[in-house]
Amino acid sequence: MGERYSPPRSLLRGIPITIWMLCLVAVPLGYTFLISFFQVEGMQIAAKLTLKNYGLFFTDPMYSRILLKSMLLALAIASLSILAGYPLAYMLSFRVRRGKQALFMLSIIPLWVSYLVRIIAWRTILGNKGVINSALTALGFIKEPLEFLLYNRFAVAVTLTYICIPFVFIPVYTALEKIPRNIMEAASDLGAGELRTLLNVVLPLSLPGLITGFIFAFIIALGDYIIPQQLGGTQGIMFGNLIWSQFGFAFNWPFGAALSFILLAISVTILGLTSRFGSTEGGFLNE
Amino acid sequence: MSRPAASLRRWERGIGLKAYGLLVYFFLYFPLLIVLVFSFSPTKTIVGISGFTLKWYLELFKDQNLLTAFFHTLIIGVGAVGIAIVLGLAGAFFVSRVSFPGKSVFRTLVLLPYILPGILMGISLLVVIKALNIPLSPFTVLLGHVSFTVPVVMFQIMSRIARMGPNYQTAAMDLGANPVQTFWYVTLPMIRTALIGAALLAFTVSFDEIVISYFLTGTWMTLPVFIYGMMRYGLSPKVYAISTIILFLSLALIMLMSRYTGRSAEVYRVRRPRE
Repeated sequence: MGERYSPPRSLLRGIPITIWMLCLVAVPLGYTFLISFFQVEGMQIAAKLTLKNYGLFFTDPMYSRILLKSMLLALAIASLSILAGYPLAYMLSFRVRRGKQALFMLSIIPLWVSYLVRIIAWRTILGNKGVINSALTALGFIKEPLEFLLYNRFAVAVTLTYICIPFVFIPVYTALEKIPRNIMEAASDLGAGELRTLLNVVLPLSLPGLITGFIFAFIIALGDYIIPQQLGGTQGIMFGNLIWSQFGFAFNWPFGAALSFILLAISVTILGLTSRFGSTEGGFLNE
Repeated sequence: MSRPAASLRRWERGIGLKAYGLLVYFFLYFPLLIVLVFSFSPTKTIVGISGFTLKWYLELFKDQNLLTAFFHTLIIGVGAVGIAIVLGLAGAFFVSRVSFPGKSVFRTLVLLPYILPGILMGISLLVVIKALNIPLSPFTVLLGHVSFTVPVVMFQIMSRIARMGPNYQTAAMDLGANPVQTFWYVTLPMIRTALIGAALLAFTVSFDEIVISYFLTGTWMTLPVFIYGMMRYGLSPKVYAISTIILFLSLALIMLMSRYTGRSAEVYRVRRPRE
């Protein structure tokens, strides 16, 4: 059973998972990469190799502008998620004794609550006749509904932050729980106040969790296309929508594949960089 | 600085943090509450909400297409989880216990369907499926769901294997059990709760998946894809009713799941061979 004595026979056990991996991961991603060098002739995809698709991305500033805009929005969303998730994890890890388990569950339940239901909820809250607008109208604060709530970047940011908070909370909380409590006592004995302990001890020690959470939030926000479609309007269009539209009405699969690969390259690069500082699994799939 | 002042300030600071935490919880749960309230409301506005009705729920049961979509989701979920358990279990033992070159790359590749943006998996599967001339069908939806449920199951089981260590198996083998007996009498009972937890988790993920399914669905729709179609015509009260049902179903699944995962579920029992 030991790792050192694995005879070739034990490699046979890897056959099912390898077949799965090839059929559903490696081949599809590889083939999409190949397609990104093809071109469209009429309504057909022609297997003639070309760099035109990538060329179009780099020459037409519209595409890179949307990518840049999406990355900035994703950055803002990831920061907001940290702003909400880190203090929550900190509070739970250091300030709560009674009911800790229940509060922990309360913090991670949203992760498994239906994605669509959460979108529906935010459309209901932010809409023109939504919860915020009708409440403000009823209270007499406004006469016309506030238009800036829905169908723009703001709505996308709020909803995606909402989705991302548990993804930040889990790795940060896991990292905080691992900090030996006597280190905190030592800091306190040496005269460090709470803020100083947080900045000089807790924050550096929880940095891997923080980075992991930040990156997960960033990638989720960058790759999403359903939330911008549902709540973003024309202003909130993101890179994911651009990819999606190539497979929908634009019907330019090779160009869509090229855009997908640009997104893949960004995601993999970021994940690769993080795996050196944080942990890629982020604790979601560990028990 | 005198002690009482310092401790008072610490106390105050703790309050600030707790208030902030409360605010975050409010942010997390208020939207869900809204969906719940709207599903029972006879009117569509929140202000001046009056009365309580179950008529939207009753309408759900009259909507044959919706019931069909719900049934489809269950089939896909059970099918995908069944396949994922077999592949994930084999894969978890393979990656945990066998050393081979390129193992860390292999691990990452297995994890990709779970960590990559769903749109990338959806599109690349669609591209291959079209290239092979496979029509969009229940089968293609199932393929999509198998792609992301396998890493969910596999990594859950891997973390249990890592904590269990190899000693129990080694002991069983030393006592003369063959690999099949070791698996059946020792390993399987020891990872049983992790398996159940992983299955529930994978089912929960499959149950509301839309991002990948969206690309792989033809006319045979799962519930989330069907609801997404309904949302094109605005949010009807029926959408809130089905959302509430989904909400409670996933809550029930999470509660069930929490019994099987985590350290508290780690009660190791082995099967006693019959004499």
